[in-house]
Amino acid sequence: MFAYYVRLALLSLRRNPVLTGLTIGAIGIGIAVCMTTLTLYYIMSGNPMGRAGEKVYAVQIDSWGIDDPFDDDRPERIPWEFTWRDANGLLASDVPALQAAMFKAAAVLQVANEDIQPSMQLLRVTGRDFFELFDTPFLYGSAWSASAETAAEQVVVLSRRTNDEAFGGENSVGQRVRLDGRDFTVVGVLDEWDPAPKFYDVNNGPFDESEDAYIPFTLTVPLELDSAGNTNCWKDEELDSFEKFMNGECIWIQYWVQLDDSDQKARYQDFLDNYVRDQQALGRLERPIDNRLTNVPDWLDVRQVVANDSKVLVGLSFMFLMVCLFNAVGLVLAKFVGKAPQVGLRRALGASTSAIFTQHLVETGIVGLAGGLVGLGLTQLGLVGIRALNEHYEVLTQLDVVLVSGTIIIAVMSGVIAGLYPTWRICRVAPAGYLKTQ
Amino acid sequence: MEVRPIFSALLRNKTGAFLISLQIALTLAVVANALFIIVQRLEKMNRPTGMDVDNIIMVASSAFTQDYDARGSLRKDLDALRAIPGVIAATPINQIPLSGGGDSNGYRASTDVPSHDGISANNYMCDEQCVDTLGIELESGRSFDASEITFREPNSSFFSPGVLITRALGEELFGDEDPLGKSIYDGLGRSTTVIGVIRRMQGAWVSWEGLERVMVRPEVGLWPYTRYLIRTEPGQRDAIMPVVEKTLIDLNKERLVRRLTAHADVVKHSYSQDRTMAVILTTVSALLVTVTALGIVGLASFSVSQRTRQIGIRRAIGARRLDILRYFLVENWMITTGGVVLGCILTLAFNFWLVSEYELPRLELVYVLGGIAGLLMLGQLAVLMPARRAAAVAPAIATRNV
Repeated sequence: MFAYYVRLALLSLRRNPVLTGLTIGAIGIGIAVCMTTLTLYYIMSGNPMGRAGEKVYAVQIDSWGIDDPFDDDRPERIPWEFTWRDANGLLASDVPALQAAMFKAAAVLQVANEDIQPSMQLLRVTGRDFFELFDTPFLYGSAWSASAETAAEQVVVLSRRTNDEAFGGENSVGQRVRLDGRDFTVVGVLDEWDPAPKFYDVNNGPFDESEDAYIPFTLTVPLELDSAGNTNCWKDEELDSFEKFMNGECIWIQYWVQLDDSDQKARYQDFLDNYVRDQQALGRLERPIDNRLTNVPDWLDVRQVVANDSKVLVGLSFMFLMVCLFNAVGLVLAKFVGKAPQVGLRRALGASTSAIFTQHLVETGIVGLAGGLVGLGLTQLGLVGIRALNEHYEVLTQLDVVLVSGTIIIAVMSGVIAGLYPTWRICRVAPAGYLKTQ
Repeated sequence: MEVRPIFSALLRNKTGAFLISLQIALTLAVVANALFIIVQRLEKMNRPTGMDVDNIIMVASSAFTQDYDARGSLRKDLDALRAIPGVIAATPINQIPLSGGGDSNGYRASTDVPSHDGISANNYMCDEQCVDTLGIELESGRSFDASEITFREPNSSFFSPGVLITRALGEELFGDEDPLGKSIYDGLGRSTTVIGVIRRMQGAWVSWEGLERVMVRPEVGLWPYTRYLIRTEPGQRDAIMPVVEKTLIDLNKERLVRRLTAHADVVKHSYSQDRTMAVILTTVSALLVTVTALGIVGLASFSVSQRTRQIGIRRAIGARRLDILRYFLVENWMITTGGVVLGCILTLAFNFWLVSEYELPRLELVYVLGGIAGLLMLGQLAVLMPARRAAAVAPAIATRNV
């Protein structure tokens, strides 16, 4: 019976191709606009760590000066990042299951192969726990050892991208590379890893690619590494040497920990409170104690990674979809009313109301499906357009299974919703009126 | 004018008219707000920069050897860059204006002001060719000369005795008084004198309220990482860019020459968020207006074909073509008017949501009025084709049995 309805529907759709085309086009455009903005929003608001991110926390302490809050306009906010002193103070704790301090740096990479030109690489200077904390996939090798970290050995983990460029994708573990003229030994190569948003450092471009190489945090002082990321200072102090800068009150380091259960979390909170109290006894950290642990999903929310523009666009595009649906309702209604004599005849010949109802619902469902497919194609076009407009959105604009199936579901539902009222109207056709004039 | 009968006839077929009204209302809400946002973004992107953005090239040099002669290579680079035919001026600079990257410090008009109440301003550190390279205009005072430039070792701390500031920074610091010759203090209490006032120059962050608060200092950092700005004769920029790159590469192999970019592209990149928003909103608005117009055409055509016989009868009993045409135009006018009345409420509600949730400014009335006028016109235009078809119905059709 269903196959018969489908045949009937196709027949009816073919009879009035302009109207059918307009309806499908209206639904398709509405869906495309909606899905394009939703895709932006969905990926911006994504949590790349999934459930695992609930145990991974960003750490914050209020290290700002006593005179003004960190953010004058939003006094409830405290610094997002750490001073060198505080990051090292926290590293002394043995409470967290895993912990890593980190910052962004840059260096020129050279390899033995003369054919490969030197190139600027972004580095993440961090602890070995970084890789386990964020569950980064390894293609070759592994993180550096604890002893290498303690001894501040010049070791490096390359990103897959960098390994492809510098070593043609071969296993480069054990090979030498030069970073700013210093020798480093490759200990590991990551597989593809570009979390979006780049939640562990949203200060420096939340949708940037992940760094090109990773080196131990313990190298910071021996190599006098400078941060290539954001640095914020509140204190007026003379920072005319590397040593003074490191002891200064500037924040530039991100700090993440993994806390497996509430007991561990409570103990870590105690540790933080004690740490800040100790520092206060030394005359630092003058603001009231306000130590915060925020897990990945909450962090993305607090940091407002989703741009307001993108939320406004989602609101606008749902209004757009509504216009398209009203449009489709009008067109379908026009079409069905035009079919009234035919329906009257079929009713007179014995078709039940429910059969008429199902038939027309099948027809609008097909229109919805076709609209969805058109919409899916147009969505791809829209995303290509956005990628071309804005290089910040490179990693943002890939449709995935969730989005594609979401589109189809929204499309068919739109079709059915748009068809429901006209279908109901057509079912109320009284057969007699249409038989008279024939 | 036979308004009443048209209205009665409209009530006989409420659904179609109601659907069109709803579409008009939503279209007004979306388009009025979208246009308002688009105009704001365009105004933001078109603010005068005060610089000769179109003829400036930026390039960066990153040394990667540990015993790099920063001072010597800086000298050689600058001599070579300035010798390129078509180059007006070149300067090393700590940060690129309008790039989204920058330094800022708090400055005070006197040491009585607590240092945490200082006025934040962007710092640009460059040499004696800075003013010519940026193409900025001094409204009073003078630029630096070569003897005033201080070359700073990495991690050193220094505050030049004489600086240039923008008029905007001067107003923040000294109100209506002329800033020329006045002293400015940094957070550490060190002082400097204003030797020149820049009419206008934009700083680092395009969405920052203090974008025009800029201080230009005669200092050059001796870091392994150096940025240069080069200003060319008008129209020669693209031809000179490859020459700049080759010149720097040939001079010194112990560094990377990177990020060779036209300054105009740097600026464009900084506004990409605003441009993306403007383009998306324009596209959405255009599509929406098209969809709504097609909806009106579709439904009007349908109603014309439904009423062919009635039209024939009217024509047969004496209505002119013009009467028929006018009938559909008036009917559409009624529907659209209903739509825009509802639309005004929706527009304001939507704007209220934008204002309260996303800190957008309040909608200006002219956008609502413009939207109303535009939609009324759109409706009349959209209905014109079906209405003319209706007017062409021959009176004889009335005598026919469909």
